[in-house]
Amino acid sequence: MDIVLTHVSKTFKASIGQRPVRALSGLCLEIRRGEVFGIIGRNGAGKSTTLKILMGFLRPDQGEVLLADRPPTDPAARNIVGFLPENPCLYDNLTAREHLEFALRVAGMSPRRERDRIDRALARVSLLEAADRPVRKYSKGMVQRAALAYALVHEPDILVLDEPMSGLDPLGRHLVVELIQEYHAEGHTILFSSHILTDVERMCDRIAILDQGQLKTTVTPDDLTGIADPAGRLSPLEHLFLSTIQTEGTPQP
Amino acid sequence: MIQGTAAVAIISYKEGLRQRLLYGAMLLAVGIIFFSVLLAGLFMRDIAKITLDFCLTAVNLGGLLVPFFLAVHLLARDLERRTVFTILAKPVSRPGYILGKFCGLALLCATIMGILTGATVIALLISKHLYAAVFFQDLSWPAVFVSVGISFLGIAVFIATVVLWSTVTTSSFLATLLTVATYCVGQTVGDMVHFIASKVPGVTITPVVAQTVKAAMYIFPNLAAFDLKLAAAHGQLAPLADILFLLAYGVAYTAATLALATAIFQRRDLT
Repeated sequence: MDIVLTHVSKTFKASIGQRPVRALSGLCLEIRRGEVFGIIGRNGAGKSTTLKILMGFLRPDQGEVLLADRPPTDPAARNIVGFLPENPCLYDNLTAREHLEFALRVAGMSPRRERDRIDRALARVSLLEAADRPVRKYSKGMVQRAALAYALVHEPDILVLDEPMSGLDPLGRHLVVELIQEYHAEGHTILFSSHILTDVERMCDRIAILDQGQLKTTVTPDDLTGIADPAGRLSPLEHLFLSTIQTEGTPQP
Repeated sequence: MIQGTAAVAIISYKEGLRQRLLYGAMLLAVGIIFFSVLLAGLFMRDIAKITLDFCLTAVNLGGLLVPFFLAVHLLARDLERRTVFTILAKPVSRPGYILGKFCGLALLCATIMGILTGATVIALLISKHLYAAVFFQDLSWPAVFVSVGISFLGIAVFIATVVLWSTVTTSSFLATLLTVATYCVGQTVGDMVHFIASKVPGVTITPVVAQTVKAAMYIFPNLAAFDLKLAAAHGQLAPLADILFLLAYGVAYTAATLALATAIFQRRDLT
């Protein structure tokens, strides 16, 4: 298993006058090597919290997390992972190339010797021409693509993407979908969260539906073939998603 | 860890070096330095002292740019804007991140102070050429360089406290406020301790105030102790024992502050 979360719970402490927020409650996930795994859920379901715990940004109150058999707080574990945060933020005054040079430097590679690798990653996200421009001059979509190149440049075994399509135009979205499919074909593991169910349905080997910090169900594309919306307006995954979160007695999104 | 720390230091340095604010402030500082050459001519017999006073103040102000403006911008905003995810998603440990940020900022400060010290040397050489040699007989180059070096150490101590505040709070505004408060306390706490110890007749200090000042003396850095500008302007080199004491104090305080910042940051959830 490349990624294992066992009975992970997380509650955010309350600010003054507010109640504590239980973000995750006994979450268990196992993601196999070479799998494309999608996490879906409405806002506040615990998707980003799961990914942040996986990257070691948040510490779980309970449970165990392993990234390629290592705890995520171990920097060596993060050497085999590429992470794209939701709404990524890069350094305004540095160029995309300088960000990628940093990524290689901390991965123990020489940015000078690995110039081809940097160019390849930038070309993969169609950013080679703008590579030497400071990030502050980029559009939102370009920042997203630069962050994706930053996540990919050291050619990690595992990709963790939090809302990778957010802020992208249709071309950018197509590029990300292609990239995920290419990466999958190369045998890498991909875990991503998204609100765009059609993309999730198209790309994933398995899909987890999270609601109120709990895993409601996990489905494969084969499971979806037997599901149909009686009204014929929704895709099988959209129908399953809405029916799953509505049966839990929660309001409709 | 060293690899990660060095990489974080390099990008922090580059990011800081490209802040536009830096160039405006550096131009102003260089302007002050060269203006002091002309201004000093108005002061009879104190030409070297006045020139040096102005120049060393400008060097110090240039260095203070880093903790006051760039450090908060580069560290607290890293946490506020979540740029920290960009760094920590890579194989960089949290202590490596803190240490790298500090080293990058200290290097930036050293660069600014180095350039301004160069400008100071040029300004002094111009002054020596413009005015009679008799006005410069007390000028001590070692005293000038020691003053700048110790001033840099004091600012490094201050940067370490800014790093600490940035790990404690989630808001860059609060980090700025704490930075300003630390500077104010750090500049005055030594004088206050001396004032209380001197027991001025007619002045009553309550035990609460005395204890508060004593506590502040141990908690906050005594930044005024790193100010050797006046001695340097008078051509006096500080005694070696004093320099060594300041070195030990500065290094120990910085190390302890960074250790505390690392311990806090290690436990912090990055939301």
